[in-house]
Amino acid sequence: MTTIKSTAVKPDTTMLPARAATSPIAAALRQFARSPAGVAGAVVLILIILATLLGPHLYGVDPLDIAGAPLTPPDADAWLGTDYLGRDILSGLLQGGRATLAVGGVAALITIVIGVTMGSLAGFFGGPIDTALVKVTEFFQILPPLLFAMVLVTLFGQSLVVVTLAIGVVSWPSAARLTRAEFLRLRNLDFVKASRAAGGGNGHLILRVVLPNALPPIIVSATLAIGVAILFEGGLSFLGLGDPNTMSWGLMLGQNRNYVLDAWWTVTFPGAAIFIAVLAISLIGDGINDAINPRLRKRG
Amino acid sequence: MNLVLHVSKQLANAFGLLLAVLVLNFCLIHAAPGDPALVIAGEMGGASADVIAALRVKYGLDKSMLEQLFTYLGKVTTGDFGYSYYFNEPVLGLIGQRIPATLYLVLSALAMSVVIGTLLGIISARKPNGLFSQGVTVISLAGYAAPVFWTGLMLLLLFGSVWPILPVTGMTDVARPKAGLAYVLDVMQHLVLPATTLGLVYIAQYSRLARVNMIDALTADYVRTARAKGLPEIIVIGKHALRNTLIPIVTVAGLQFGHLFAGAVLVETVFSWPGMGRLVFESILRRDYPTLLAVLFFSAVLVMAANIVTDLVYRLVDPRIRSGGR
Repeated sequence: MTTIKSTAVKPDTTMLPARAATSPIAAALRQFARSPAGVAGAVVLILIILATLLGPHLYGVDPLDIAGAPLTPPDADAWLGTDYLGRDILSGLLQGGRATLAVGGVAALITIVIGVTMGSLAGFFGGPIDTALVKVTEFFQILPPLLFAMVLVTLFGQSLVVVTLAIGVVSWPSAARLTRAEFLRLRNLDFVKASRAAGGGNGHLILRVVLPNALPPIIVSATLAIGVAILFEGGLSFLGLGDPNTMSWGLMLGQNRNYVLDAWWTVTFPGAAIFIAVLAISLIGDGINDAINPRLRKRG
Repeated sequence: MNLVLHVSKQLANAFGLLLAVLVLNFCLIHAAPGDPALVIAGEMGGASADVIAALRVKYGLDKSMLEQLFTYLGKVTTGDFGYSYYFNEPVLGLIGQRIPATLYLVLSALAMSVVIGTLLGIISARKPNGLFSQGVTVISLAGYAAPVFWTGLMLLLLFGSVWPILPVTGMTDVARPKAGLAYVLDVMQHLVLPATTLGLVYIAQYSRLARVNMIDALTADYVRTARAKGLPEIIVIGKHALRNTLIPIVTVAGLQFGHLFAGAVLVETVFSWPGMGRLVFESILRRDYPTLLAVLFFSAVLVMAANIVTDLVYRLVDPRIRSGGR
């Protein structure tokens, strides 16, 4: 048996490179490249990521060091001015982007993993499992997500890990609903029935048969979830619930907000950084959506 | 009739969910690191071992978890949500004082965003590729991506120092207290910036939603029929197409009440608006757990109420659901 299986797999792998040219991913990428907004978003996001990775080394000012007099306006020394403690704003932006983007990415991943797990189990099995999981989802939906995250961070401590987990734990219901709807739509289609008749177990059916076909909307929602998570991190930090020991865009806003009327640059730049990053991500999301949901492309 | 049955079913469901929120609250406070007795002692400004032991007995912390849960639920049914040491007041009273200000803010932001968002969407749907339509698309993208607290700070900067024509903090002019109509006007003036800040996010979303649905509606058969009958354009759009554009907006607006409420926390913090959000901020600063958890519970109550109202409005707006025939 095993020998037959392994020989059956072999031709498949040799064919992979040849297939890659027409694979759905390549097709989607080509389609994505045709969306100017999506490409612009991707370029901006890549620039932001490069700036946060390389910037701190090039700019060479420690974001936690006192670089000048407090609340110095932008000048030749501190290009974007200094904050209420005299720390360099540009350096904070470059360094702080790492934490903000990392929290956004990881929290979005947690959101999608929980959401897809709940949604696929509910949608695939239906019946009492569906009823129970929908109840749980409903329960999480009546708690305002940001408020729930605030409570979690206040109770369990202000570290980057808690903040990331909290954002993931409160944000998953919409991903769950989306996945459930896709599974409900797909589970009785012929190709799923055929796989079941061929002896596919539930695990195989969920992961290998239904999930790949449910992926397009999930990918879009995962992209948008990164933007939402970045906004959440900003909101939490703004309220003083970020990790006080890690520079982030939200932290800069929260710490300087009382000086907004005297020193506009202290809050304008970090906020603009969040704005541009989230805008880029949502443009990418729209671009992906257009690329992988061709049916929707013509709509406004 | 079946509407009554439907509403009572929803209320029963709401009751169950809110009970679950209370159990969650109880679990959270017990799962959090730190002994509640020590936390309370800390809030009181420190206490000796005897006092802490007395606190344990007083709050039933020496009993089993299940017993404590039932004690907690029993207290809640009598309206006892605990005592805030920082504000030196029962939590329920605190929340009662703060709810009106938050509702003014949230409801005016909601009304503003539904009206303006729908209007922008309708106007841009008439010429989907026109300049105005593209402008609306840009605004809706920007409104989605701009952090609400940052928009608030930017407006505060604009109207606080560059062009000071509007009050930027608080709900009333503390220096010159007013009464009667002047008081109402004063509050409304103070409401402009916070409500606009909060509303902008949703204007962005609803204009996008209204635009897509209006474009769909304008190509639908019933609109073509209405036009063929010779009805004026204002009635075709304002009556026939608008109804089908409003349904998704009402649904989304109702479902987003929780988000709106959470947004209010940030906006109230920016503009020192004395509502529940400001209360949340203050109780976070002081680690005032009873207040924080009670706010979480009451926000869930508000969200539930909003969901039930949405469902009713939905039934009123959409005759297909009202008649019960699917």
